[in-house]
Amino acid sequence: MSSHDRDREVDELLGEGGGRIGDLYRRLPRYEPPRRVDRAVLGEAARAVHSGKPPRRQRWIVGLGSAAGLVLAAGIAWRIGHDAMNPSEIAPASEAPSVVPVEPIDEPARAKREESAQPAAAPAQAESDAMQSAAGASHERQDAAPKKEVVRKTRAPAKANAQPAAAEPPKPAPAPMAPPPQAFPGSMEQRARTQDDLEKSGKDKLGYSETGAAAADKRAPAAARGVSSPTVPSGSIELQRDMQLPPHDWLAHVRQLMQQGRRQQATESLRLFVRAHPDVRVPDDLLPLLD
Amino acid sequence: MGSEKTDEELMLAYAGGDLLAFEMLYRRHRGTLYRFLLRTLRHRADADELFQDTWSRLIAARERYRPEAKFTTWLLQIAHNLIVDRFRRQRPQASEEETEAVFSKLDAPDSEQPERALTEFEQRRRLQLALEDLPDEQREAFLLRVESGLGLEEIAAITGAGRETVKSRLRYALARIRARFAT
Repeated sequence: MSSHDRDREVDELLGEGGGRIGDLYRRLPRYEPPRRVDRAVLGEAARAVHSGKPPRRQRWIVGLGSAAGLVLAAGIAWRIGHDAMNPSEIAPASEAPSVVPVEPIDEPARAKREESAQPAAAPAQAESDAMQSAAGASHERQDAAPKKEVVRKTRAPAKANAQPAAAEPPKPAPAPMAPPPQAFPGSMEQRARTQDDLEKSGKDKLGYSETGAAAADKRAPAAARGVSSPTVPSGSIELQRDMQLPPHDWLAHVRQLMQQGRRQQATESLRLFVRAHPDVRVPDDLLPLLD
Repeated sequence: MGSEKTDEELMLAYAGGDLLAFEMLYRRHRGTLYRFLLRTLRHRADADELFQDTWSRLIAARERYRPEAKFTTWLLQIAHNLIVDRFRRQRPQASEEETEAVFSKLDAPDSEQPERALTEFEQRRRLQLALEDLPDEQREAFLLRVESGLGLEEIAAITGAGRETVKSRLRYALARIRARFAT
C-alpha cells in the first residue's frame, strides 16, 4: 500500500461516517456505564449543587476565620521570637543553680514551694496550652510546646524567688481560637463518606458483585474529593491567592515554591490547581508532586 | 428540535445551580465518554473509576467553565489528563521504532489481505483485538475520532499534540488494524 493510499484511508476515516473502519466500529458493542456509577455521579452533582458550595456569608466567615488564625499564629510567632531574644527573661534562669537540691518528701514544704511558683508558672502553662491549641497548624510547634513548658517550670521558682517585683508583666490572654480552617473540607469529606457508606450498604442489599463493591470502595476518596468545590478548598490565604492566578502563572508559582524548598505548599497548590483546572495538563516536571 | 439547549448552555446552567441541566448533559455524554475510556483503558474497573473521576472533576470545576471552550473538548480533555496520568504510572509507551517495524510488515498487496472474506462477527472481533493492541496514543487518537467524532484540530487540542502528529497516529493506527485483518 502506497503512502498515497494510506493518506486516502485516513481521509476516509476523517470523512463523514468514518469510512469502512468507522462503520465497523459502530457495530461494536455499545457499552454503557453501570447504574451504580450513574447514581454516584448524579448524586455527587446534586450534593455539589445543594451543599457543596457554601452560601456567600459562610465564605465570608471562612475568610474571617482564616484571617483570625493568621493573626493568632503571628502573635505566637512574635512571642516565641520575643522570648528567644529577650535576655532579661533568660538571665535569671541561667544564674539559677542548674542542680536542684533533693529534699526529703515534706508536704508542707512542697505546698509552700508550689505556692511561690504559682504566679509565674500559671501564665507559662496558659501560653503553652494556647500554643498547643493554636498550633493545630504545626507538629513542630506541638512538639516544642511541652519542652518549653518543662523549661519554664524549672525556671519559674528561681525567677519568682529572685525577682518577684520584676516579674514579666502580664501578657494579654491569647485571642479565642478561630475554628481551624481545615475543619471545613474535613467535615465535607465526612459527609461524602457517610453518603458513600449509605450507598455501599444499599448496594450490598441489592446484591452487587464483589468487584463492583471493591470499585465503589476505591472510588470513595475520589468522590469525597469531587464533592468539595475548588472555591473552598482550604483556609489558606496563600492558596486562595493562587486560585486567582491564570493557569500558566499558577504553575509558575508552584515551580517557584519548589525552588524555594516549600514542597508541601507546592503540593497543596498543585492539587488545588488540578481540581480547579482539570482540563489543563500538569507539566511533567511537576507531576512527581502529585504522586 | 430548535429549542434544545446546547451542551455549553447546559453546563453554564448547571454551574448556576440547575441540576436538571447536568442530568441532561450527563445523559448526552455518558455513553460516549464511557466507551472512550473503556476502550482506551481496556479494563472495566479502570473505566468505571476514571469515568467517575472525570465527572467529579468537571463538577468541582463547574464554576470555572467558560463557554468559549466546547463542552465535549473540555470533558474529553479532563478524561485525557486522567488517562495520561494513569498510563504514566502503569507502563511505558511503544516506541516510534516499534511502530515503524510494524508498518513495514504491512505493505502486503491487497490480494493477500483476506478481510473481505471474514464474517461480520469475525471482523468485529478482530477490530476489537486490534484496538486493544494499539499503542496508547494511537488508540486514543483513533477513539477520539471514531467514538467522539472529533476532527484533527480537536484531537490535537485535547491530546496536546500537533495536527500532523495526530494525523500520523491515525495513519499508524489504521495500518495496525489492517494488519490484524491480514493475519
